[in-house]
Amino acid sequence: MDREPETRVRVWDIPIRLFHWSIVVLLCVSWFSAEQGYMRAHLVSGLTLLALLLFRIAWGLVGSTTARFSNFLHPPRRVVGYLKGLAGGDKIFHAGHNPAGGWMVLALIAVLLAQVATGLFANDGVRFHGPLALLVSEDASTRLTDIHGLIFNFILLLVWCHIVAVGFYLLVKGDNLVWPMITGKKHRARLPAELNIVFTRLYIALLLLAVSAGIAAWIMIQGDSIL
Amino acid sequence: MSGGDGISGRQSGRLSAAAYFGCVALLTLAGVGLSILAQPALGHDMLQLMGLERVPQADSASFYAKRVTPLLETRCAACHGEKRQKSDLRLDSFAGLLRGGKHGAVIRPGDTKNSELSLRISLPSSDDRAMPPSGKPPLTEDEKTVIRLWIAHGASGVLRDIAGAPKPVAEVKLPELDTARVEKQRAPLAAMVRRLQGRFPGVIAYEARDTADLEINASLRATDFGDADLQALAPLAARIVRADLSGTAVTDASLPVLAAMPKLKNLRLSGTKVGDIRGLEAAPALKSLSVVNTKVSGSALAAFKAKGITVYGGGDGP
Repeated sequence: MDREPETRVRVWDIPIRLFHWSIVVLLCVSWFSAEQGYMRAHLVSGLTLLALLLFRIAWGLVGSTTARFSNFLHPPRRVVGYLKGLAGGDKIFHAGHNPAGGWMVLALIAVLLAQVATGLFANDGVRFHGPLALLVSEDASTRLTDIHGLIFNFILLLVWCHIVAVGFYLLVKGDNLVWPMITGKKHRARLPAELNIVFTRLYIALLLLAVSAGIAAWIMIQGDSIL
Repeated sequence: MSGGDGISGRQSGRLSAAAYFGCVALLTLAGVGLSILAQPALGHDMLQLMGLERVPQADSASFYAKRVTPLLETRCAACHGEKRQKSDLRLDSFAGLLRGGKHGAVIRPGDTKNSELSLRISLPSSDDRAMPPSGKPPLTEDEKTVIRLWIAHGASGVLRDIAGAPKPVAEVKLPELDTARVEKQRAPLAAMVRRLQGRFPGVIAYEARDTADLEINASLRATDFGDADLQALAPLAARIVRADLSGTAVTDASLPVLAAMPKLKNLRLSGTKVGDIRGLEAAPALKSLSVVNTKVSGSALAAFKAKGITVYGGGDGP
């Protein structure tokens, strides 16, 4: 029933889906590489994250309807109302992020950005330092390294919240949010009656991604030239 | 809502919110618990925290305290110490060293081959796992031997001596220079010293940077330096501890001036015209005298030797 094309409507564009799953992969790669001491891989993974985060911010301004901050960032009162409704068993559907999930997206982007930013100035005290670490004093770099380690705990916390929320929708509300994030399509029955999603053209996404990647690459080159 | 029918078919298979969050709480607790239990040194940490296990301490006279500790503190503790604990490993205490890091123990007492610490310090600096890492100076062979021997002998905190251990490198500590004190000591004569240094370039110098005592060396001025010149240095007489007048034009006439120098310890008169040095032994601090190539007779030297003054040359000697 779910797979019948006419009952399913596209809500997530390709850039958002790729972004989402790339973040999942890059978070794992970043954690594993740091843990095992593969610092060059950690650097590349971190700068790729930076490029994707910059892209996501731009896409949140000019991207498809469901990608835009203006679409999913609601005033706190509405978030509280939504959560109360959720607890009360309301069946309110959203095409994109729901009011609570919207803030989760922003929190994740902010924390990941902070993590990447501190990583640029960090050092492992042994043989490796971030591309911009030599621009600050050793003390400052060491402090930022400690913050880099601390922020990882916040990332874990947010990821935990995210997974628990997705599990809640799946197991309690019967709303599978994972599958649409893969296929891009949601069941028509779990969408608001009136849908008005405008998809931004893909070449704009590619253009923004190129600019973001350019910025990350430039930072990496700066790092190499400081040496 | 229009979607009511579309989801009603699954209602029966769903969990209640309470059941779901109960499961989440259990799983989270289990995950956190497992991650804590997975820490290698947890057992020791807990027992020590409860006071059921003594925190390992090394004896201050042990080989560990005397030979291993200084080495770990200077070469390892910057990254594995109080400020930073790379891989959760601290090498700035005996307990920390035995406890190991997040990958487990770094020392197997008596088993050097399988001790991570010994392995890491033995790797070539090109190896990614070498410690200290590339860019930092590797341990010397003696330092490596000290660590290996200590592990081989049981990584003890009480064992005092290990046969075959390389001798420790003597540590030389230079005392701090108290510039203000030295300046104060030099002050009364400083202006005079400067003036005479201008008049006799290269002849007058302070004996050391931490003293107001002076030494004079007129040997390079040879016969340009005579009795009158030595007389001109009389204002500094109380401070002169060493005087090299070898080959100068000084004569017996200068001897009373030299004998009156209260701090004069070393005096060189070799190659001068002095002949009758009687009375010079009265110089209160004199320790050595050189009179090579002079007309000083052997008999005149007895009085010096009797006072314990070492004499070079004179009489029939060289």
